[in-house]
Amino acid sequence: MQGVAEIVLLPLFGAITIGMFKGLMPKKLPGIWASLLVGISFLISIAEALKLSRLPVHHRFLTGAVFPLITGFGPAIHWRYYLDPLSGLWLLVITGVGMLIHVYSIGYMHDDPHKARYFSYLNFFVFAMLLLVLAGNLLILLIGWALVGLASYLLIGFWYQRPSAVRAAKKAFVMNTVGDVGILLGLTLLYVHYHTVSYPGLFRIFDHQTPSAFFEWTAFLLYVGAMAKSAQFPLHMWLVDAMEGPTPVSALIHAATMVTAGVYLMARLYPLLRLAPDVAYLVAAIGAFMTIFAASSAIFQRDIKKVLAFSTVSQLGYMMLGVGVGAFSAGVFHFMMHAFFKALLFLGAGSVIHALSGEQDMNRMGGLWRKMPWTTWSFLAATLAISGIPPFSGYFSKEAVLGETYNLGHPILWVVGAVAAGLTSFYMFRLFFLTFFGKPRDASLYEHAHEAPWIMTVPVVILGVFATFGGFLKNWVNQWLAPTFSLYRGAPHAAMESGPIWTTIFTVGLAVIAFFIAYALYIRKSTATNAASESGPGRWMYRAWYMDTVWTYLAVVPFQKIGNAVMQAETGILATVKGIGTVVWDWGEDLRPLETGYVRRYALSMMVGVGALLVYYLIRV
Amino acid sequence: MVLVWLLAIPLIGSFVVLFSGDRAAKGVAVGFGLIEIIAFVVLLAHGPADINVPWIPEWGVRFHLGADGLSLFLIGLTAVMTVMALFASSKTYRRSYFFWILFLEFGMAGVFESLDLMLFYVFWEVILIPIFFLLTGYSGSRGRPAAMKWLIMNLVGSLFMLIGIVAVAVLHTQPFGALTFEISQLTHVPMSAAVAPWVFASFFLAFAIKAPLWPFHGWMPDAYSDAPAPVTSLLAGVMSKAGIYGFLRIMLPIFMPQMRQYQTGLLIFAAIGLLYGAFMALRQKDMKMASAYASLSHMGMMALGVFSLTEAGILGATFLMVAHGLIIGGLFVVLGFAEERTKTREIGAMGGLNDDAPRLAAYFLFFALAALGLPGLPGFVGEYLIIQGLVAHDVVFAVIAGIVLIVAAWYMIRLFQGVMQSVRKGPRILDLTAMQVGYIGTLALLVLLLGVWPAGITSHAAPTLYHAVHLLATKGGASS
Repeated sequence: MQGVAEIVLLPLFGAITIGMFKGLMPKKLPGIWASLLVGISFLISIAEALKLSRLPVHHRFLTGAVFPLITGFGPAIHWRYYLDPLSGLWLLVITGVGMLIHVYSIGYMHDDPHKARYFSYLNFFVFAMLLLVLAGNLLILLIGWALVGLASYLLIGFWYQRPSAVRAAKKAFVMNTVGDVGILLGLTLLYVHYHTVSYPGLFRIFDHQTPSAFFEWTAFLLYVGAMAKSAQFPLHMWLVDAMEGPTPVSALIHAATMVTAGVYLMARLYPLLRLAPDVAYLVAAIGAFMTIFAASSAIFQRDIKKVLAFSTVSQLGYMMLGVGVGAFSAGVFHFMMHAFFKALLFLGAGSVIHALSGEQDMNRMGGLWRKMPWTTWSFLAATLAISGIPPFSGYFSKEAVLGETYNLGHPILWVVGAVAAGLTSFYMFRLFFLTFFGKPRDASLYEHAHEAPWIMTVPVVILGVFATFGGFLKNWVNQWLAPTFSLYRGAPHAAMESGPIWTTIFTVGLAVIAFFIAYALYIRKSTATNAASESGPGRWMYRAWYMDTVWTYLAVVPFQKIGNAVMQAETGILATVKGIGTVVWDWGEDLRPLETGYVRRYALSMMVGVGALLVYYLIRV
Repeated sequence: MVLVWLLAIPLIGSFVVLFSGDRAAKGVAVGFGLIEIIAFVVLLAHGPADINVPWIPEWGVRFHLGADGLSLFLIGLTAVMTVMALFASSKTYRRSYFFWILFLEFGMAGVFESLDLMLFYVFWEVILIPIFFLLTGYSGSRGRPAAMKWLIMNLVGSLFMLIGIVAVAVLHTQPFGALTFEISQLTHVPMSAAVAPWVFASFFLAFAIKAPLWPFHGWMPDAYSDAPAPVTSLLAGVMSKAGIYGFLRIMLPIFMPQMRQYQTGLLIFAAIGLLYGAFMALRQKDMKMASAYASLSHMGMMALGVFSLTEAGILGATFLMVAHGLIIGGLFVVLGFAEERTKTREIGAMGGLNDDAPRLAAYFLFFALAALGLPGLPGFVGEYLIIQGLVAHDVVFAVIAGIVLIVAAWYMIRLFQGVMQSVRKGPRILDLTAMQVGYIGTLALLVLLLGVWPAGITSHAAPTLYHAVHLLATKGGASS
């Protein structure tokens, strides 16, 4: 309890102190203070993880009720925490990667007049995310879930003078509310039936149940929440627009941590997925679909952050695929590796954008490796990792997911994921070559480009080390997560095993071929980047298959039409009231000669008497 | 005794204000408002209270006041929101304004304390007068018509309720003899199938108009949007709760069989209001109008909770009454700050206030988030419990409530962004003063406390509601 409370509350304390006293603080203090608190939180997390590892395998979790949230009818719901290897892993990544991104932000936001507000929000986000993963029941989880959504909203709309940022923030908030409502309905269904929403309470019950429609519905509703947060089809477009926020925010919230909350939820609820096999398959199928759907959308993007955004959606697909087929450890392992390399990619992109005074269009980049060596080589490590080239981190985790998918009898999902891996390699090397190699396409921007200050490069390089060597943590992660997935029924194949060797050769081969195509197109021939996206299928991919348009016509327009209809009905109601009012008023006017003063009052009080008498006699008769 | 003081303090205060100067009026009124809060704290410390003396013995009317888990926190809500409204009122208002505000507090406290139907009716009528004068004397151009609509609709409603009250008491004499208006004794009134719907409707209409529930909200839009912001915050925050309170305090015990019988119809009716208000809020151009319809939607949510006739739903409605009172009241106060500074209410004409007034924006955002039911804040707790009740009764209504939560997020964020974000179109404005931060900040802290620790209320309210729910089980069991 003690350690857990401090881990969660320190960032909250930071958010409050910065929010309240930002006027009094020296300019540099908020960033240092915010980073320091997350750093301490990270150290305590390590200590808690060690404490956890000393517990016996069959009882490897810490849980407890802090104080009551809702009491009254039925069993009370408490503020409850739950720390086990699964939440512990998230804890380490959130605070660890979170700390690095806080430090990076000190440099990135250096010139922003509102950086105190920025760090206050960022600390608040870390608090909310920790609350989410340490929650001991679904209701507290939902509170954390909504608060990370709020933090995300605040940071997407951080530059609120930009109309595009305001729109993107609203979209993210509303789409995430769809997910919140899904979780809310799912958890109420569970509470109504089992009178508890705590994990141990529910999972013990689940152990004695068999699959049924009830569980399918519950799991589906909870999956809607995961869908919104982890940008799964059809609730994924907000994540692309979310790139309106400052780039470190994209790294922390919209790549490394918050968007993986859906993966966390599905992994956490593995005993429920056992009872809802159809939903589990849906999770896997949509995940596999997402890998290729988003990867295809990434290919022709011109904005460096948009490529990374679609790439995040695609990688979330892999995590969901792993969790959906039952390879829980593989999905979680991919989350961890992705946190390293994708945070790096965003921070690296941030350094580039910073160096080019805010330019995000790759058409105006090129040749930057001479100016920014540290960023370039770290970025290369992450690019190799995400492309699944051995022995970089992403190779191990992606192979774990795809291998298990094949092993567990889903060859079609495997093919989709493997092809998407090839596409990933293509669009990532396209990005890498266009940004760092070839001839500079904008001479003046190139002239002024410079390597980022050390406070930004150091976090990038640290992440580079993890992106390169992180894969060797595979066995450790396997062992670390085993107690979580052996506690209840539902995860017989949680541990990571490799697929047949030819599957690996196939995937890696595709990635290597894609690398050479990218090399041929963008280094050898230095192809213009726009032509392909202006007609035919390229245009569809560039517009992300027109999902925004679909949403507009299927949701926004009908809602506005209903709104118009309701507005008309309201006019009718108000006119009726006015009509009745006029009639009563005229009565009053007619009766005015009888008495001066409050005529209507008299008239009405007379009615009271008459009415009362009438009723009295009616009843008597 | 403290129950009487809770009525006496605002009443005495209102007359003291009347005899003090215009300049001192606000200070005096705030002073009495604060004393009322102290009295409430005393009540809270003492726990349940009851005063029961004969009033008009010939008719069996008693002066019966009580504070139990259902009414206790509504009395507190009245005290807190009245002080907020007084603080937020312009010093330039004449003393009559402050007189009517305190008088309104007297009436509302009376409604929530009364346990005798006749006494309840008296206070119910008392409320009409101060609001009428506050609307006619201190509102914008649409104030007078709004006041007339308010008066006429509510008079019609209470008229029928008076008939209903008499009918219930008279019907009660048939098996039980003596005439009584004691709410707790009127639980087993025999009603024939011909009479019951009419008596039921007479109460229902009065409460539905007061809340207001769709489609009886004709008086609401102009009144909420044109009244001074502090008055609107009292109307939407406290007065509206009298309607829902009526359902819980009076209709549940007396009309349980009818509630069961008409349950589906009632739920549909509440659900329409819930959706209707939300979509109206989405389309408004006037920020107070948008919040007014948001409030209408919330009233539908509370009604859904009551009509679910489940433990969780009723508890949720009870909790949401208090939470929503603080939240929507606070929101209207904040809207008042914005209106006062920009001299407009049109969302399109504002924008970008955050630049000049970050504190105003922060509180605006806080109350908007609370109003849209952000988990972690109390509005969510109420909605969660109501949805739980609906899931237990009929999932369809839970799904409708869920959809409305999405629309609510949409209209509230739209409102916040329209007023506070993007590029400022008008001249520079001032941020909140230290004084304003003081009282709106206190209110925000109170909201936050309720969000983190709703058990503070639910654990008190549940035992009282248990009585109502017990009736559900015994009387309702037969008919279903």
